[in-house]
Amino acid sequence: MKVAVQLFGPLAEQAGKTRLEVEGATVGEVVAATGLKLGPSVRFALNTDYVGPEAPIKEGDVVSLIPPVGGG
Amino acid sequence: MFKVTTDVLSIDEAYDAVRRPGCGAVALFIGTVRDHHDGKKVTKISYSAFKEMAEKEFAAIASEAEKRWKVGAVYIAHRTGALQIGDASVVIAVSSAHRAEAFEGCRYAIETLKKMAPIWKEEFYETGKAWISG
Repeated sequence: MKVAVQLFGPLAEQAGKTRLEVEGATVGEVVAATGLKLGPSVRFALNTDYVGPEAPIKEGDVVSLIPPVGGG
Repeated sequence: MFKVTTDVLSIDEAYDAVRRPGCGAVALFIGTVRDHHDGKKVTKISYSAFKEMAEKEFAAIASEAEKRWKVGAVYIAHRTGALQIGDASVVIAVSSAHRAEAFEGCRYAIETLKKMAPIWKEEFYETGKAWISG
């Protein structure tokens, strides 16, 4: 299944884009399919919730890669 | 009220949003852009966010604060875009019947926002820039 992936902050800067599309049935598969080198501090979101790599993907879901945050 | 916005943040809006007849205290936290970081002169800061998720996190922070303490209402707003030195980047207001809960709820809200809200800070110096987390 094709899944949209959103990149933010330093990850978007490194990749030179904010969005890409890959195949995968779980968040972990989707993240691996991006081919991006991610440190252990990068979290994942499925739509608008933090999830682990085991989270299954449904049609139309959006996966976001959340690098270390710096709000405040 | 919970929002991520490019507009200038309003302290009055925050105060008005949490005033309640049963609340005798309002704690207000304002985060502002500082002119230095690790010995370097900061010239400006740019914030970006995953707006929909950040606003959902703000609502979750508020509902957790309401569960833990007897708070009346919670307001959280974060600004994005290019901010200048002294600009307010975040405004949090928490009301409660008595001051202890307002202070504690407000402290909880800013500390949790800093860990959980999908917002990114890029600091610009006289030479160079850096992404700042934590």
